[in-house]
Amino acid sequence: MRRKQLLSVFMLVVGAALLITAMTVAGASGATAKAGHSQAAKGGTLKLNESNEDFDYVDPQIAYRTDDWAMLSTTAMQLVGFPEKAGAAGSQLYPVAATAFPTVSKDGKTYTFHIRPGMKFSDGSLVNAASFQRAFERTLSPKMGSPVGVNIGLQDEIVGADAFFNGKAQSISGISAKGNTLTVHLTAPNATFVSQMGMQWFTATKANTPYTSQGQQTFASAGPYYISSRDPGRSTVLKRNPYYKGPRPANPDEIVFTPNVDPDQSLLQVKSGQSDLDIVGNVPTSSASLAAQYGVNKSRFKVGPTSCMSYMSMNNARPPFDNLALRKAVNWAIDRPAQVRLLGAYAGKRTDQILVPGIPGYKPYNVYALKGADVAKAKQVGGSAIASAPEINFVHTTSQSSTNRAQVAEYNLRQAGFKVKDVPTPATTFYQVVGARNTTYNMTSNGGWCADYFDPYDYINVIFNGRNIQANNNPFYSYFNNASFNKHMDAAALLSGAARAKAYAALDQELMVKYAPVVPYLINNDHFLTSARLKNWIYSAYFGMPYFNALTVG
Amino acid sequence: MTHFLIRRIFWAIFLFFVATIITYLIFWVIPANPAQLAAGHAASPEFLASIKHRLHLDQPIWVQYYYFLENLVVHGSLGRSFLTQQSVDSIIGKDAPVTASLVFGGAILWLSLSIPAGILSALRPRSIMDRITMTFVLIGISAHPVWIGLILSFVFGYKLGFTPIAGYCNFWPGAPGAQCEGPAQWAYHMILPWITFMILFAALYVRLVRASVMETMSEDYVRTARAKGASQGRVMIQHVLRNSLLPVVTILGMDLGLALGGAIFTETVFNLPGLGNQVIRAYNANDLPIITGVVVFSTCCVIAFNFIVDVTYGFLDPRIRLNN
Repeated sequence: MRRKQLLSVFMLVVGAALLITAMTVAGASGATAKAGHSQAAKGGTLKLNESNEDFDYVDPQIAYRTDDWAMLSTTAMQLVGFPEKAGAAGSQLYPVAATAFPTVSKDGKTYTFHIRPGMKFSDGSLVNAASFQRAFERTLSPKMGSPVGVNIGLQDEIVGADAFFNGKAQSISGISAKGNTLTVHLTAPNATFVSQMGMQWFTATKANTPYTSQGQQTFASAGPYYISSRDPGRSTVLKRNPYYKGPRPANPDEIVFTPNVDPDQSLLQVKSGQSDLDIVGNVPTSSASLAAQYGVNKSRFKVGPTSCMSYMSMNNARPPFDNLALRKAVNWAIDRPAQVRLLGAYAGKRTDQILVPGIPGYKPYNVYALKGADVAKAKQVGGSAIASAPEINFVHTTSQSSTNRAQVAEYNLRQAGFKVKDVPTPATTFYQVVGARNTTYNMTSNGGWCADYFDPYDYINVIFNGRNIQANNNPFYSYFNNASFNKHMDAAALLSGAARAKAYAALDQELMVKYAPVVPYLINNDHFLTSARLKNWIYSAYFGMPYFNALTVG
Repeated sequence: MTHFLIRRIFWAIFLFFVATIITYLIFWVIPANPAQLAAGHAASPEFLASIKHRLHLDQPIWVQYYYFLENLVVHGSLGRSFLTQQSVDSIIGKDAPVTASLVFGGAILWLSLSIPAGILSALRPRSIMDRITMTFVLIGISAHPVWIGLILSFVFGYKLGFTPIAGYCNFWPGAPGAQCEGPAQWAYHMILPWITFMILFAALYVRLVRASVMETMSEDYVRTARAKGASQGRVMIQHVLRNSLLPVVTILGMDLGLALGGAIFTETVFNLPGLGNQVIRAYNANDLPIITGVVVFSTCCVIAFNFIVDVTYGFLDPRIRLNN
């Protein structure tokens, strides 16, 4: 009997051996972590998680998501950019690589930038005008498949860009680079051109950077940091650019992004200091308790507004939503507070307009029901058209959040008397379904827009210019195309200063009061828990994240 | 024995073809437009057409499958990721060791725990020890690995600070961008994933060993051995364990292949960059070549493990190869 027990004990010991060996490392690691606490404010490794996500692209001429751009902004050297400042000051463009804002010809079509001399990429090579010319070329090259053409129509703005975009020319005839002077000839005056240059696409790019539709993973960059290694799905590591001599902050020695972390685990890691921040934000269900524990923006729990606006699209091109009264009825029927509640505490602010705070022309107004669904008003506005309307194909992706949004919205529509058919659609085919002009979809809860640059054009003209509707791959799904509104948009786009802001404020109201093509419901907030050691938090509403290069981990 | 081996090899090859055909049909033919997935939403019609041609999607299905198989068998290539253009072979080559370290480390733990626990339970059925073990078995079988992983992380990683909450360190030092590396850090980061992975399988194996030992102990040859005066240890080791662990070997061979599927949950919870995590990301990004590659690779592992078990069993137990 004794020998039998010995055998069992032996087997247990073998099993425990791995654990014991591994556990001994715990002490050593803990000691290492404690030693790290004495580091100075500048220096150290900033450890950032990205829960359930990874950067889709890190190539500046293809990347388009806010997380991509927030990371790339630390590596970027743009002609003009947003300063690492909090609040409204952070949304004021300033010349970065350019010595000043460009000089503009009298006809408003030629922009000349003068590049600061002596700037260098992280490999020591010089930055000059050709570096920015290459950025335009890579952004518009058909070999890159960049989303810029579809979304802002840059190929129509610059002389010769269309031919280059369509593969009929080897270079863009409207752009010339001589030494440190970059000249851009536009097809027509464009008040937003300088604002557009604040986008990450137009960062200094080495002139020999190849065209590749899948983008580069590592490359020389001229901003405060460069991507020293990238292993998609595993890690992205930024290091200080040893040749950067500009005034922008470069506080951590190294910034390490760990992607695809489970959101709950990520929260624990940040709480315990094993990570400094989850750049996606804390789990929504944890916001209320974090606010109770740390207060809002008092210590470790940060809440900040973004430039993002969430909306539901209605297909204006086919029944029933080619009927204005029904579109308005839907805007009365949708329970906006319920939609916001789905996203947890501090998710944002209810809205029924397109522009958001911080964008010139934003003027709060209240046309529809912000405090909840007004079913009686919806029925009154829709009248008998509701009962006679065909069944609404309500399309949404199969993600949990999208499904939740759709369920609440469909309930609201049924309350108002609409007949609704729920059409869950896998993400694989969703964009093909809603992005085709002849689509049979009627309404979707998937929709939102964040600023490419702080100008109302980027919201009103970009989303609602019906003349840009294509047969397939449309990025906006309302299929709203109104000749009168198009004229008003065109006129507003030519204005500048206070007149421009006033015109867009009027357009914002006109759009929702007269046409109601979509159902805006939320101006999004972002919320984050930080590690105890993370300091110098400067929040960017543009990225909906802090400036990573300004953070300190001392 | 030669005939037995040849039959097993042909059977493995047949299974491989069936698996690749099904995999190809599921992932490449059923989705609405793989070319669109590869080209992205903003692709021009010309770019889309060029992608379609490059992927042979403008040809009949059987030709497409032929190219897929030719790439796989002749060139040993599973294609390139839609998203990153990385070779799927290199992605799998990088991720498979992570999954293997989870599966094999977990297997060592679950065998180390379940064999002695199963034997002790079998020797004293319905004792307190047996009841405690069976309670553990019930929990292990009932609880989902995600829940177990989160609870372990919370208690041992967050509250007690004994282990990392999540993350992975490379076993071999020198990987670019690695924040921690080396065998000690690797094992330290794998403690909780191994335990999580172990719990489900250990529960199953405790029951298996317990039942098998109890059954063997009632065999005539065990009684005979005792009657001949053999010591308890000799009876256990030479007569009981030798025979009762044979089914464990069989099941282990199959489970190691199937465990690749179970690894998805553990890898996701602990952010281990293995095949399970990779396939989840690929699914979310519609990266068909990676999904197909991982499925084909996993299928090959299952076939290989089964083949090894079949052959080993044939050697261990002559009745099997004779019956075949």
